[in-house]
Amino acid sequence: MHEVANTPRGRGVLACIQCGRCTSSCPVARVVEEHNPRKLMEMIILGLRSDVLSGRLPWYCLSCFTCLDRCPQGGDVGEAMFAIRNLTVREGNIPDGILAQAKSLFENGRVVTAGRMALAQRVKHGLGNEPTVDVEAVQKILKRTHFDKLISKGK
Amino acid sequence: MKYAFFAGCLIPAREPHYENSVQKIAPELGIELVRMEGANCCAPFSIQSLDYTSWLALAARNLSIAEEMGLNIVTLCNDCYESLLMTNTVLKEDKKTRDKVNKILADVGLEFKGKTDVKIFSDVLYEDVGLEKVKNAVKRPFNGLRVAVQPGCHLSKPKRLHSIQWMGGTALDELVEATGVKSIPYERKEACCGGPLRGVNDEVALHVAKQKLDSIKSADVGCIVTVCPFCYLELDMGQIELKRRTKEEYNLPVLNFAELLRLAMGMDLEDWEVRAHRIPITKILGMVEAK
Repeated sequence: MHEVANTPRGRGVLACIQCGRCTSSCPVARVVEEHNPRKLMEMIILGLRSDVLSGRLPWYCLSCFTCLDRCPQGGDVGEAMFAIRNLTVREGNIPDGILAQAKSLFENGRVVTAGRMALAQRVKHGLGNEPTVDVEAVQKILKRTHFDKLISKGK
Repeated sequence: MKYAFFAGCLIPAREPHYENSVQKIAPELGIELVRMEGANCCAPFSIQSLDYTSWLALAARNLSIAEEMGLNIVTLCNDCYESLLMTNTVLKEDKKTRDKVNKILADVGLEFKGKTDVKIFSDVLYEDVGLEKVKNAVKRPFNGLRVAVQPGCHLSKPKRLHSIQWMGGTALDELVEATGVKSIPYERKEACCGGPLRGVNDEVALHVAKQKLDSIKSADVGCIVTVCPFCYLELDMGQIELKRRTKEEYNLPVLNFAELLRLAMGMDLEDWEVRAHRIPITKILGMVEAK
């Protein structure tokens, strides 16, 4: 539990009283039986490290923050999900879609880039090119935070 | 009213028609948008899921650029808004984290000083321009067209970060209704569109979107109006995907609020902008009152 609680976004797990309000307000829990934020908090409290970090559970969260506003303990479950995912990716558990965005960020300074058609459309209709990005500065920052090494752990 | 204009990644690349509507209405409302050259990705959900410090440093770099411009920052995207607003709040409140981030920013010749405010375009319209002025700019209102307003989560969640309570309050409905439409209450109005899970878990994303679309369909509205580029994509493209997979048809046009306001202000959308919508919006275009 402390591995999560000691991270800046994971402190909320210490406040969890297992009331289940997060699950009752979660839009994903309504459509995916396997996803249950309260249960995930319980697994963390019990210290079930490998079950928490190896599975799909933290990747069901939409980060819509409904649970965060509704937690009676100020437990910030939706924030803790980021803390869990941060630990999860250190085990190499990075979904393809996330990895693709991360690679684009490192290469282009943005997670989505305009295709040739969109660029032509922008210029034709007076919007100009995409705003420039200082990719060198982005890479400097991401090397310093070891983001480049982190994403090389992904598949 | 002058702002550092943070365009983000998604809108310039995938929704230039949305950006164009904002560029068309802004000068009419006394809003000046200054491009932020050199700025990077806001660091949304995907990047925040990977690494805390990288997120804060990238977002703080954008905030520092706006500070150097001496302007408040405005974004058109709910996700950029969440990332920048949350970073701004964390770094203003927590000196230790600010010092840590500033050590990283020093490498790229910047420093976060906490001198800019983060706004989303709806904040600017409601707070800085003001509802009355927006109403006065409407020259050809929609005549009571029934719409479903889709706020999008990060417009106002988590609540503690926001001065305007866009959800659970009437602010967004007031703003949208300034165009002469009627905002119809519907179930799951404040629920997520499902969009953040695109590329992570498409099945779940579509399932969440379907629940939302089912609710909207039963509210008997002419179209969906959103302020979020992710909700726009999810609800517009999502209908195409649902039709392909389940044969279910919704035929609910999705407009960004900036487009709706532009129409009501008396400016037509251009052909390429109309065509950018996957669910045809032509029936909505004809519903403004004659000039």
